[in-house]
Amino acid sequence: MVEWAVRYIDWLGMSPVSVLTTVFGAFCVTFVVIICWSRLVDDFGAIGGMMAAGIIVGTFWVMNHKLPGFGIHPEGIPHPDGGWKQFGLIYQGFRGASPWVDMGTAIGAGLWVCGLCGIPQGQKLRMAAESVPRLAAAIAGGAVGGAIMGLVGWTGANLFGYR
Amino acid sequence: MRLVATAIGGAICGALCFGIWPEMWKTYGILGGWITAAIVISICWYMNHWLGIVWNQPGRIWVDQGWAVSSAGIAWAMVRFNSQFRHAVPVILCCLLGGALAGIAAAQVKKRHPGFQPARPPAAQKEDARG
Repeated sequence: MVEWAVRYIDWLGMSPVSVLTTVFGAFCVTFVVIICWSRLVDDFGAIGGMMAAGIIVGTFWVMNHKLPGFGIHPEGIPHPDGGWKQFGLIYQGFRGASPWVDMGTAIGAGLWVCGLCGIPQGQKLRMAAESVPRLAAAIAGGAVGGAIMGLVGWTGANLFGYR
Repeated sequence: MRLVATAIGGAICGALCFGIWPEMWKTYGILGGWITAAIVISICWYMNHWLGIVWNQPGRIWVDQGWAVSSAGIAWAMVRFNSQFRHAVPVILCCLLGGALAGIAAAQVKKRHPGFQPARPPAAQKEDARG
């Protein structure tokens, strides 16, 4: 059972146990954001929303995205089995070689589905279609911003002999 | 124009997240990551959702800045580390599944839980308390 759960599946880039932790981590953060964030804003106004950023996203970042080997040891701590092990719930596929998948994916999807569930029957399809351009604009804007941020790795500046 | 504003807000949020988050976490570890959430997500939320740069209106499906952070993470890693998009697909699907399940569950909570019903006038609540 354990061997089956932890074996690495080549075409999937992750093991079954990683699928489980990823879905669970995505579920937890999304549920807490949907339930708590709007109530914190109701209770405390804009301060509540900025508080929620720290106490919800910050806390769930530790749960979902922390990687060992950084922080106090920026050069990385090799694991006895080889490589760096990940302890965050959301697994970065293909042993970390995949592009970064953020828990924002889960939060966005959850809020979209929750909004869809709250819309009266009969208008669901129309409202879903209405949200598509806004969704596309947010995704396209994020991709542009992220890609430009990624360009800093290619500027070729060697400051202070840094390689 | 609101769509352009949405794209700009998403670009700023995504660039901030992936410009600051990895550096803070490499420098200060877990606490750095936590503080980054408090700094970056709070000001991005204030701009995108409190002031309304990302286009949302009551009664419509909510579009969150999380979508922008998501696409920014993928684009950032593809540009910077030459990673391939197809490698991210299984994890994206897992995240979408978990998020959608949570969305359905939270919608049920909001529909049924007494704490999420619209507030009633105090007189009616007093009636309830008397039985």
